[in-house]
Amino acid sequence: MTQTIDTSIYAAVTEAIQSEAQRILAAGEVTAVVGYAAARRKGSAQPIVITAAADAQKLIFTPACVNNLAVYLTKAKKEIPKSGRIGIVVKGCDLKALVGLMGESQLKREQLYLIGVPCAGVLASTIQPDTGLTADSIAPKCRECDARLPQGCDFVPAGQPVTPELEKKYASEIARLEALTPQERWAYWKEQFSKCIKCYACRQVCPFCFCEQCLCDRNKPQMVDTTPRPAGNTAWHIVRAMHLAGRCAGCAECERVCPMDIPLNLLNRKMAKELKELYAYEAGFQVNDNGPLNSYTEKDDQSFIK
Amino acid sequence: MHSEKPKHDFEPKIIAFVCTWCTYAGADLAGTSRMQYPANVRVLKFPCTGRIDPVFILKAFQQGADGVLVSGCHPGDCHYIAGNFHARRRFAAFRKLLEFVGVDLERLQFSWVSAAEGGKWVEVVTDLTEKVRNMGPMTEFKELALEEQWSGAINTEELKEAFNQI
Amino acid sequence: MSRIGVFVCHCGENISRTVDVERVAAQVAKMPGVAFATDYKYMCSDPGQTLLKKTIQDQKLSHVVVAACSPRMHEKTFRKAVEAAGLNPYLCEMANIREHCSWVHEDKQEATAKAIEIVGMLVERVKKNRVLPTITVPVTKRSLVIGGGIAGIQAALDIADAGHHVVLVERDPSIGGHMAQLSETFPTLDCSQCIMTPKMVDVANHPNITLYSYSEIEQVDGYIGNFQVTIRRKARSVDEDKCTGCGVCMEKCPVKKIPNKFDCNLGMRPAIYVPFPQAVPNTPVIDRDNCIKFKTGKCGLCQKVCGPGAVDYEQEDRLVVEPVGAIVVATGFDLYTIDEKPKGSMIKGYGEFGHGKIPDVIDGMTFERLASASGPTGGKILRPSDGKEPKQIVFIQCIGSRAREKGISYCSKVCCMYTAKHTMLYHHKVHDGQAYVFFMDARTPGKAYDEFWRRSIEEEEAVYIRGMVSRLYQKGDKIVVMGSDIAVGVQVEIEADMVVLATAVQPRSGADTLAQKLGISYDKYNFYSEAHAKLRPVECATAGIYLAGACQGPKDIPDTVSQASAAAAKVMTLFAKDKLEREPIVARVKEAGCVGCFACKKVCAYGAVEEKEIRDRQGNLIKVVAYVNPGVCGGCGTCQATCPSKSVELDGYTDEQIVAMIEAL
Repeated sequence: MTQTIDTSIYAAVTEAIQSEAQRILAAGEVTAVVGYAAARRKGSAQPIVITAAADAQKLIFTPACVNNLAVYLTKAKKEIPKSGRIGIVVKGCDLKALVGLMGESQLKREQLYLIGVPCAGVLASTIQPDTGLTADSIAPKCRECDARLPQGCDFVPAGQPVTPELEKKYASEIARLEALTPQERWAYWKEQFSKCIKCYACRQVCPFCFCEQCLCDRNKPQMVDTTPRPAGNTAWHIVRAMHLAGRCAGCAECERVCPMDIPLNLLNRKMAKELKELYAYEAGFQVNDNGPLNSYTEKDDQSFIK
Repeated sequence: MHSEKPKHDFEPKIIAFVCTWCTYAGADLAGTSRMQYPANVRVLKFPCTGRIDPVFILKAFQQGADGVLVSGCHPGDCHYIAGNFHARRRFAAFRKLLEFVGVDLERLQFSWVSAAEGGKWVEVVTDLTEKVRNMGPMTEFKELALEEQWSGAINTEELKEAFNQI
Repeated sequence: MSRIGVFVCHCGENISRTVDVERVAAQVAKMPGVAFATDYKYMCSDPGQTLLKKTIQDQKLSHVVVAACSPRMHEKTFRKAVEAAGLNPYLCEMANIREHCSWVHEDKQEATAKAIEIVGMLVERVKKNRVLPTITVPVTKRSLVIGGGIAGIQAALDIADAGHHVVLVERDPSIGGHMAQLSETFPTLDCSQCIMTPKMVDVANHPNITLYSYSEIEQVDGYIGNFQVTIRRKARSVDEDKCTGCGVCMEKCPVKKIPNKFDCNLGMRPAIYVPFPQAVPNTPVIDRDNCIKFKTGKCGLCQKVCGPGAVDYEQEDRLVVEPVGAIVVATGFDLYTIDEKPKGSMIKGYGEFGHGKIPDVIDGMTFERLASASGPTGGKILRPSDGKEPKQIVFIQCIGSRAREKGISYCSKVCCMYTAKHTMLYHHKVHDGQAYVFFMDARTPGKAYDEFWRRSIEEEEAVYIRGMVSRLYQKGDKIVVMGSDIAVGVQVEIEADMVVLATAVQPRSGADTLAQKLGISYDKYNFYSEAHAKLRPVECATAGIYLAGACQGPKDIPDTVSQASAAAAKVMTLFAKDKLEREPIVARVKEAGCVGCFACKKVCAYGAVEEKEIRDRQGNLIKVVAYVNPGVCGGCGTCQATCPSKSVELDGYTDEQIVAMIEAL
């Protein structure tokens, strides 16, 4: 019998989100609210942007609210200053992305009205949306969540999410891979990357892939082979992981949207782990002027340098 | 090519990314001092290790390098104040990533070689060349480049079934 | 299509002995894009360069690769030759087949094969080279000097005498600095005020010098040749233009007993004061913390007695902006505080020496004021505690300096000499007194310095004891000094009337804050860092900023004056041209791709990256992008390696050029 995870607070959270969204839209504090609404399939949810107070009752929060809505703010960030302050519903993991984006001058705190969600977890991408949240159906990232109650929001509904201690799947998978020989690891990733069809869904959904011209699309010079073949795929995923190092806080959206089920978040989590060990840096907890890879101290580790 | 010195079955290709102020000058000093080292290394000059992009390392392996060396000024000696400090962090992270995807880090060497350290340049280059020579060719990236993902032919039962269902 | 010319040099036999240069030229000639390839005995010789120039014109070459020695050796030579032949110099590259090939390999076949590959890489690289125009920046021929001590005064006078305008900023109410406080100066014992005050007056009267005393640097913008400096002129409460310096206000001021910092708190001054009689400018300042008018609103006596009506209680701090092309930093030093451990500092105090607790334990500067004819005792050496003349006096050297365990490992350089001077001054004034000196080593390099030090022992009867003092305590009206004489190996105990501590020289307080405003680097002690310890000792790594005096490291007066004049000469060299030329190896932003994450700005050690707004024709903000100021960019390229979308590119080292070389392998 799998362990059920208590999501009973989500009903109250939904009501609180609705009334707060209604209030701020009616009062003109924001021009729009980005949140979740029910979608057509039973139990499913989808992102929605509402601009009228009357639409606030469309907003929901359920275990099917998997998306990181921060991506809507970066990809459309040029519109934000024109449209005024925007409200956004954020889980703890999504907030980390927003915090990172503020540190990279992509968003300003005063442009946002943050509605934080006390979150016990959401469903894994492979699970039907009307499934109950259990230790089996919960998304892997939620198993090792350290931000169930988002900090520093403008509004957080009351409610204390209760989530049992679960096995940390990413951590144990990283440990398993680390224990392999380089040849075995290469074989593992070669198989994973060979599945890639270069659809770039991972790039599209990532809040931090906000470059207007991706390095990997350039042809003068061609830094990364753009065709969906093993060499280019491998290079693409290595470059992506490197560019996200010190910035990605592990929302795992890339992994969720990957149609080929490549465990992309493993790479990001591995880099986060290394940077935490090397420089005691963890992305997403506070707005930092400098990330770990654009700052230094004179005493940094150089044991690997001859 | 190596008719006079047929000592080794395999001669590795080593690419060195170096800064112009310290390591390049150190390699020059090795030359003016007439020190001898294996002819396997090809040097690419940068103003500063701070300019060296991790993608270049990736590119070098893809182009068939069997070993890569990145070398610059000792901490505190950077001609550009702090370029080598930034490089140090960047490569500390990047080597961890390469290790995680299965690149043997024995093929990737980092060093500080000052303009006065001609001897150290010789030592670093010789050691890396010998180490990589013993390891044999770096085949991983080369094999990737030769592989096609899918020919487009519907030649398995699974593919045929899937095709017929469309 | 490129028409590349490749010139393979024999370098006599230096290259051709181990590299088959003819074969290299023949192989390279087959490479795509190569229109011409030849070998020649000495490319750098006059005929070699003529061959290069003639071939460029005859063969209509578009790019040139010279395969010879290290580019560190002759790149400039060949780029100049290429320019003379009408090509942009940056379309020429050198392939290093000597230092990196012929000299380090013995096997001719191996070396030849390697040489061909090296040249091949450079051929691919040069195809991607772009025409780079020399960057010119206009120069504002005005200079800022920060600090009005002897270093700043000397630099300001030299620059002003050369005909350039100087803005001299001093934090205190008067210029003069520490040198104005000294009694006499080594090694000639001339009176400090006699040689200092004429220079101060020269500053005041110089038509090319604008003096802002009682002012501080608020903000520094811009770059070499084009700085904008904001200066805070602190409220003096006295109008400098109206004040005649008659001094009536100071006489009438009812508050009289404020310890005067200039006299190391031994003398007293009123609340409206000039720090010393020869102050420049001779305009008083109101010490608002001690003035009755400012404390209670009553009094106002100085305003009433001021004939010209110069006293202005309403005066506020004013900000002035001065455009300058060069900056000389001459902020000088402070003496180590001895007893207390400065907050947050790695430096520990010397509480055991009783400074601050035993009134007759003083530092070297206090002794200078006691010995000064214009000092609080009129030049008599008297004990601060009871005004008696000390008959036994102990000097202790290296207090703070060379004491790693206390946090300072450097030598303060001036203490050996000034302690020798102190023993002489003491002997001249107290004929029946005896001076003892505890010292580790006597460091007296310098013209006539060692002779001076020997004189203090041989003629002026100072007793030098090699060893450190272990303990010091008050016993009645005596101070018992216990130490060891390591030369003889005995314990020494002296009952002294007065103890003078030769305390370490430290950078001026706030040196780090100023460095951050200027964008210059400093060491762990806050001394400013020169660009090169040997070859560029007066320049900062930040172009257009120069150092003079003890702010860079402990220095005596002759060294300080020399460095100040050197800094002035550097400024004049800069001002000798109307425009600055610099190598065009600078980063450029490709605005179309820049999304304004400013990672480049975060890693730029030069502060060369600025934020730039892009607006449409209606003036609506489209986006904010990075802009690299070519006058400030150092050319390291760290920004490009950091930029995720490679929207900033270092000219001369573009991704295209580098990838072309990697792909040539």
